[in-house]
Amino acid sequence: MYLNKSVKEINELLKKKKIKPIDLVEEAFQNIENNKELNAYITLNKEDAIKRAKELEDKEVDNILFGIPIAVKDNIITKGLRTTCASHILDNFIPIYNATVVEKLIEKNMIIIGKTNMDEFAMGSSSRTSYFGAPHNPWNKNKISGGSSGGSATTIAARDVLFALGSDTGGSIRQPASYTGIVGMKPTYGRISRFGLVAFASSLDQIGPMTTNVYNNALLLNAIVGKDEKDLTSVKKEEDFTRLIGKDITGLKIAVPNYFMSDIVNDEIISKVKDTIKVLEENGAIVDYVDVKYLENAVTLYQIIAMSEASSNLARFDGIRYGYSYENPENIEDVYLKTRALGFGEEVKRRIMVGSYLLSGENAKIYYNKALSIREDMRKALKEVFNNYDLIIGPTTTTTAYNLDDPMDDPRKTFMDDVLVIPVNMAGLPGLNLPIGFDKNNMPIGMQIIGNSFEEAKIYQLASYLEKKLNLNLDPNGGENNE
Amino acid sequence: MSNYIPTIGVEVHVELKTKTKIFSNSTNGYGKMANSLTNVIDLGYPGTLPTLNEEVINLGIKAATILNCRIRKVMHFDRKNYFYPDISKNYQITQNETPIGYDGYVEITKSSGEKKKIYIEEMHIEEDTCKSAHRGTKTLLDFNRAGVPLIEIVTKPCLSDGEDVKLYLEKLKELLSYGNISDCKIEEGSMRADVNVSLRKEETDPLGVKAEIKNIGSISNAKLGVEKEIERQTKLYDKKETFKPQTRRFDDKIGDTVLMRIKETGNDYRYFPEPDIPFVVLTDEMIEEAVKTIPMLPDERREKYLNIGVSDINTNKLIQNRSLSDYFNELLEEKINHQIASNLLLGDISAYLNKEEKDIKETTLTKERFIELVNLVDNNTLTSKNLKEIINHILEETKSIKEIMEDNNIENITDDTEIRKVIKKIIEENEESVKDYKEGHDRAIKFLMGQVMKETKGKINPKMAMDTLKEELE
Amino acid sequence: MKEKLSKEEVLHVADLARISLTEEEISKYQIELKELLNDVEKINEVKGYDDDILIACWENNTELRKDEAGEMLDPKEVVNNAPRHSGNYIEVPVVISEGEGA
Repeated sequence: MYLNKSVKEINELLKKKKIKPIDLVEEAFQNIENNKELNAYITLNKEDAIKRAKELEDKEVDNILFGIPIAVKDNIITKGLRTTCASHILDNFIPIYNATVVEKLIEKNMIIIGKTNMDEFAMGSSSRTSYFGAPHNPWNKNKISGGSSGGSATTIAARDVLFALGSDTGGSIRQPASYTGIVGMKPTYGRISRFGLVAFASSLDQIGPMTTNVYNNALLLNAIVGKDEKDLTSVKKEEDFTRLIGKDITGLKIAVPNYFMSDIVNDEIISKVKDTIKVLEENGAIVDYVDVKYLENAVTLYQIIAMSEASSNLARFDGIRYGYSYENPENIEDVYLKTRALGFGEEVKRRIMVGSYLLSGENAKIYYNKALSIREDMRKALKEVFNNYDLIIGPTTTTTAYNLDDPMDDPRKTFMDDVLVIPVNMAGLPGLNLPIGFDKNNMPIGMQIIGNSFEEAKIYQLASYLEKKLNLNLDPNGGENNE
Repeated sequence: MSNYIPTIGVEVHVELKTKTKIFSNSTNGYGKMANSLTNVIDLGYPGTLPTLNEEVINLGIKAATILNCRIRKVMHFDRKNYFYPDISKNYQITQNETPIGYDGYVEITKSSGEKKKIYIEEMHIEEDTCKSAHRGTKTLLDFNRAGVPLIEIVTKPCLSDGEDVKLYLEKLKELLSYGNISDCKIEEGSMRADVNVSLRKEETDPLGVKAEIKNIGSISNAKLGVEKEIERQTKLYDKKETFKPQTRRFDDKIGDTVLMRIKETGNDYRYFPEPDIPFVVLTDEMIEEAVKTIPMLPDERREKYLNIGVSDINTNKLIQNRSLSDYFNELLEEKINHQIASNLLLGDISAYLNKEEKDIKETTLTKERFIELVNLVDNNTLTSKNLKEIINHILEETKSIKEIMEDNNIENITDDTEIRKVIKKIIEENEESVKDYKEGHDRAIKFLMGQVMKETKGKINPKMAMDTLKEELE
Repeated sequence: MKEKLSKEEVLHVADLARISLTEEEISKYQIELKELLNDVEKINEVKGYDDDILIACWENNTELRKDEAGEMLDPKEVVNNAPRHSGNYIEVPVVISEGEGA
C-alpha cells in the first residue's frame, strides 16, 4: 500500500528505487477493482498504463508527480483511449489527438489510469444522466456522488488514486467534491487550456484538479496551467500554487454573502459553515456578512447561457465525421434527426432543444443578450467584493448528497443543486470545495472558498489552514488520514 | 413591355491568399487529394478550438482599405448555426455584428463614360465550407476547403443593370487580385458572386420581390443572368403575375437562370457571439503596417503610365499583365523612353515569355540591362529585326546587350560620314537607277537601298541609310 | 393541469435541434420544456442592469497565429473515423437542396 502515503513520501520511495511506477499502477487498478460497484470509471487504461509505467522505470524521477496514477474525466480527449462523454453518441469514439492537459500530464510522466464516469456531456448534477449508469457515493452507496464530475469525485473519495481531473461549467467539480468529501478546484477561466475538453458551455467550462487534500490539489494545478496557443482564451501566468500553504491567516479578510447563508441552504450545513467561520475568527481572520447583487439570478443566467451555448457546441455530433450514426438513414435529414434522437440522452436533448429555442429568431435578444448583460453586472458585483476582501466563503451545496433513486422528473432540480456554485463560473473566478464536516447521516459537508481572478494561491492558503485545523478523517473506509 | 426600375445588390465571397486556414494551421490549397489538407479543427472534432490567422486580419485590413471601407478596431466573431453536411461544426464562424470593414465604395466607369460609385455596406471575415460532390444516391465530402479564409463583400442595393454588375465584379477582381488579397479565380471558386434582383415601378415604391442568383460561373454570365432575370420579372409583372422570393442559379447550357428553391420565411441562424475567440483589437500600428504593403493599384498605375507618355493601348495592356506592370513600375523614375520600354515588354519580350511559359522575373533581364536595351532601340543601334534574332540571348544570358550584339555580329553603322561614303559609292555605281528614281520610279530607291544593305552586309542602320540616300539623291 | 407548450412549438424546437421525437416524447417535452422556459422567463424580472455584455471572462485579447503550416491528418485517418466513407471521401446520403454556401 503506497497510495495512502503523501506524494512527497511516494516521490522519495520512487527516487530511492524502493518502489517502481508499476507498483503504484497495480495498486490503483486493484483499488478500482475492489471498488468496482462504485462505477467510477467508464474506460480503464490498463494495458497502456502498465506499458507506460514500465517505460518510466528507466527514466529519472524528474518531478514530484512522476509515475503517479491519475484519473481523467471522460470529456477530456485522450488519444487512442476511448472518450465517450458518457454518451451513446460517442460510445465507440477513439480520439486521434490529445487534450493539452493530457499532454501536460504525460510531460510530467503521470500515468493515466482511466476515464471517469460523469453526466452525459457534463449536463447534470448527479452523474445519473450517464449512458453508463451513475457512480455511487463511497460514503453511502445508495447516494449520488454529485455531478457532473461524479466519477472523478468517487474515485478520489474512495482512495483508488490520489489525483483526478474534472471539469466545471456550473459547479461540476465543486459540487461532487462537496458530496464526496474531497478537495476540488475550479480555477480562474483561462488558467487551463480547454483544447481537448469537449465543450458544453465554452464561456463557462474549465478543467480543474480533484484530490484528497489541498496540497495535492495545488500540485496538480501547478502541472496543468499555462498559456496554450491552441486555446485563445488561455492566459499566460505561471506561479507556484503551493507557495502560501502553511501560512498564517491572521488579518485575512473574508466575506460571506448573505444569500449563501439564506434559507435555501439546509440548516445542518449552515451551522457547520458557521462553526467553521468561528474557527476562522478565533484564528485572526476577519469575517463579514455582505450583500452581493444578482447572486439570486445566477441559475437563470446559467440556464440561458449554458443551454444556448450547448445547443451550438453539440451540433457537431451529427453522425457524419465520427461517432455513432443511425444505421439505416433514408436521407440526410434522417442522419441528423435519428442519430441525435438515439445518440443523446434525455437531459442532453432537453437542454439542446431549450438552447435552440433561446437563440432562435427574436429570442436571442429577449433572453441571450439580456443574460450576457446581467452576467456582466454580476461579475462586477462579485469583483467589487474583492476590493475589500481577500476571499469569499459559503456552503458549496444546499444539501448533502441525496439518494440515487430520488426522482429525476423535475428538469429544474438539477440546476437548483448548483445554485451556490454557478456564480463563480459566471464571473470566471476560481473556487474550491473544502470538506468541513459531516451531517447526521455521516455524509460530507463542503465549504466553498472563492478568490479573485488568478488568486488560487490565496484560496489554497485558507483551505490548507482549515484542513489542518479541522483535521477530519475523510476516508470513507475509515483508513488513516492521509495528509 | 413596360419599364421597371431594377434594384440590384451583390454579395461576393473571395478566398484569401494565405498559407494556412483561418482557424487552424492546415494548408490553404486547391486541387489536392481529397481530405489531405485537414486537421482535427477543420473537421470539427470534439474538444477542438479555433485560433486566428494573423494574415487573414492583415488581408482584411488591406481589402477594407482598397475598398474604401471604414475599419472596425474592436471585433468579435459570431456563430451562424445551421445543419448542413458542408459545415463541420454545424455552425460557421463569421462576423455578424462586427464586420471588419463597412461603409465603403468602388468606382466604375460605364460604357457611356459615366462614373458611378458602387457602395459597400460591409465586408466581413469568415470560414469557407467543405466541398461536396453529388454522386447518385450519395454525396461525397472533401474538407480541404473547410476553413479556408473568406471575405464576404456586400454592396448596398445600388446597382441598376447587368453592366453595373459586370463592371463592379471586374473592378473588384482587378482590385483584390492587384492587392494580393485573392486569386479571384471564378472558375476555381476563389471568387463567387450572388446577385439579388428586384423590380419596382417608381423610385418611391417599396422594393419588389427579390430573386437571388447563385452559382454564377463567370462575370459575363453575371451580366447575362441579371439581364435575363430582369426580363423574366418584367414579363411576370406585365402579366400581373406574382412570384415568391426565390433562389435561382445560372445555367451555362441554356444561358438563363433556373429556379433552385423558393425561400422559406427567413432562415433561423441563431447567431450568437463566438465565446472561443476573444476580442480582436486592431492597433493603429497594425493597420499602418498592413496598408504599407498594399501594392500600387490599377488606377494609380494608369495615371502614372499615361503621365510619362505611354500610349492608352499600352497602358491598358500593361495593367492587364500584373507581372509586367510590376516590372514596369520599377522603371517609372528612369530617364528612358517609356513608350519604347512598354513596346518592348508587350512585344518581343511578351512573345518570348508566352512561348517559354515564363515570368519576367525568371529571365536574366535585370533593370540595368533592360534600360540598356531600351536606349539601344531608342537610338536605333538595335533594329527590331536584329532584336528578334537575339531576344533569347538577351533574356537568358547575363552579358550586356552590346556584348550580345557583338557575339552575334550585329553592329549598326550609325556613323554619318561612313554612311554617306557608302551611299555615294552606290549612287556612282548605279547611274541607271538614279535616273529611274528621278523620273519617278519608286521601285528604284528600293533597289538602291538593297545595294546599300548588300554593301554593308546589313549592318547599317536602315532608317539612317534611307534618310541619307534620299538626301543624296536630291 | 400543468402548463404546456403546444405540440407545434415542441416540434419547431426539435427541428431546430435536429432531433426526431416520438409522440410520447412530444407530450413529455410539452410539459418539461415549458417548465424550463418558465424558469428562464425570470430573466425579465431582473431590473436595473447595464447594457454592457459579457461574452466570456476573457482575460486578454486574441493573440493572432503566425501564418505557418502545421501537421495535417492522413486522409485515411479522416475517413476511418467517419461512419460512412468511400475512397478518400466522407459520405452522406445525397443532399438534394443546394448548400447554404458560405
